[in-house]
Amino acid sequence: MIVDERDELIERAARSLAGLPPVNPVAVMHIMSAVRARRAQRPSLVAQFAGWMRVPSLSMASASMLAAATLVIGFVSGGAFNGAASSVARVTGARGAMPLVQVADVPAESRAVAVPMVFDAASAHTVSIVGDFNGWDPTTTPMQRFGADGPWTATVLAKPGRHLYALMVDGVLTVDPRAPKANDKDYGGDASVLMVTKP
Amino acid sequence: MMTRTSLALTCSAAALIVLAASSAGAQQDARLALIRDDATRDVVRAQLVSASSRGLPADPFMSKALEGVAKKATSKSIRAAMAALEKRLRIASSALAPTPSVDELAAGADALSVGVPEKSLKQLRTAAPGRSIAVELGVLTELVARGVPAKQASKLVLDLVARGASGVQLTALGRDVQGDVAAGLKPDVALDLRGRNVLSLLPPPPTVSNVNVRPR
Repeated sequence: MIVDERDELIERAARSLAGLPPVNPVAVMHIMSAVRARRAQRPSLVAQFAGWMRVPSLSMASASMLAAATLVIGFVSGGAFNGAASSVARVTGARGAMPLVQVADVPAESRAVAVPMVFDAASAHTVSIVGDFNGWDPTTTPMQRFGADGPWTATVLAKPGRHLYALMVDGVLTVDPRAPKANDKDYGGDASVLMVTKP
Repeated sequence: MMTRTSLALTCSAAALIVLAASSAGAQQDARLALIRDDATRDVVRAQLVSASSRGLPADPFMSKALEGVAKKATSKSIRAAMAALEKRLRIASSALAPTPSVDELAAGADALSVGVPEKSLKQLRTAAPGRSIAVELGVLTELVARGVPAKQASKLVLDLVARGASGVQLTALGRDVQGDVAAGLKPDVALDLRGRNVLSLLPPPPTVSNVNVRPR
């Protein structure tokens, strides 16, 4: 009986899905690319923990001093924490408030915007985007080929402002032919310019 | 006398603080690991320590170093680029005081690199004290990079900010000027024409005469 009901449910779901309009594969690619870019920019658990502790740039020396100070305060107060329950409550409260604090700290005008990028290179085997928005790391934003010999696409997350970037095509740095160029005074050569407007 | 529980909690808190610090350091080390050349990595690490001691953010330096690595620059070039960046960031930090964001500092340093004067950064900060001016600085940088005289570009961007031009309008202005220059128009002429066009769409600036007028 239960199996029959489940079969019926699955059949209904399948009928509903069959009735949906076809999905644009380019749109899917852009969405997946944005998800990948967001995932790549998401801080690691340890970084999140450091953010929670509100000491993102604490040096080892400073941390040791803080730890020592904490120990001294603990000894001097002689049990001022009043048991585990209150301390745990404090910690839980701080952790629970973290996402809200972080969102509130970033004004809308400074939040990263998803920017779709397209590049034509029929003979390329691997293409990735490197720029100041991803720390010039060629592993962060690989481009995906659309179809067998179609254009390469990716979505980068960049904050509003002017960004310099380049394309890494089969390991060789190349400027984007579709973008304006900027002369690089520090290292020479050209870079491509991406202007991102406030959302 | 301290109870066992409070001692355990104190020790845990101390351990957590040390762990947090080493984790933050480890994250930075992870990015340093992208630099395969030992000499370059040492140069970058030393520069990061120097920047940190001056209260400058690490991100623009890491980005500049990794840009050098991507461009296969020598450790000498990377050192020079990072030193030049530190100088620009210090000027930008002073000009965009009191509390510039990392994005604003990076944008300010970029603007200085193409020849935008420090005074223009200060004026932009004064014109928009409570919000990010990273886009405004980016447009100004791009205009000067396209060959528009820095003084003319600074004055127009300041006027536009004072008149409440949006980020979209400013970015479109930069794109239009770039298109005009690519089509053969002189940069100063292109900015003059395009700038007038945008200004005509904005409300007039408040003047002393119409602000202080009392109804009779």
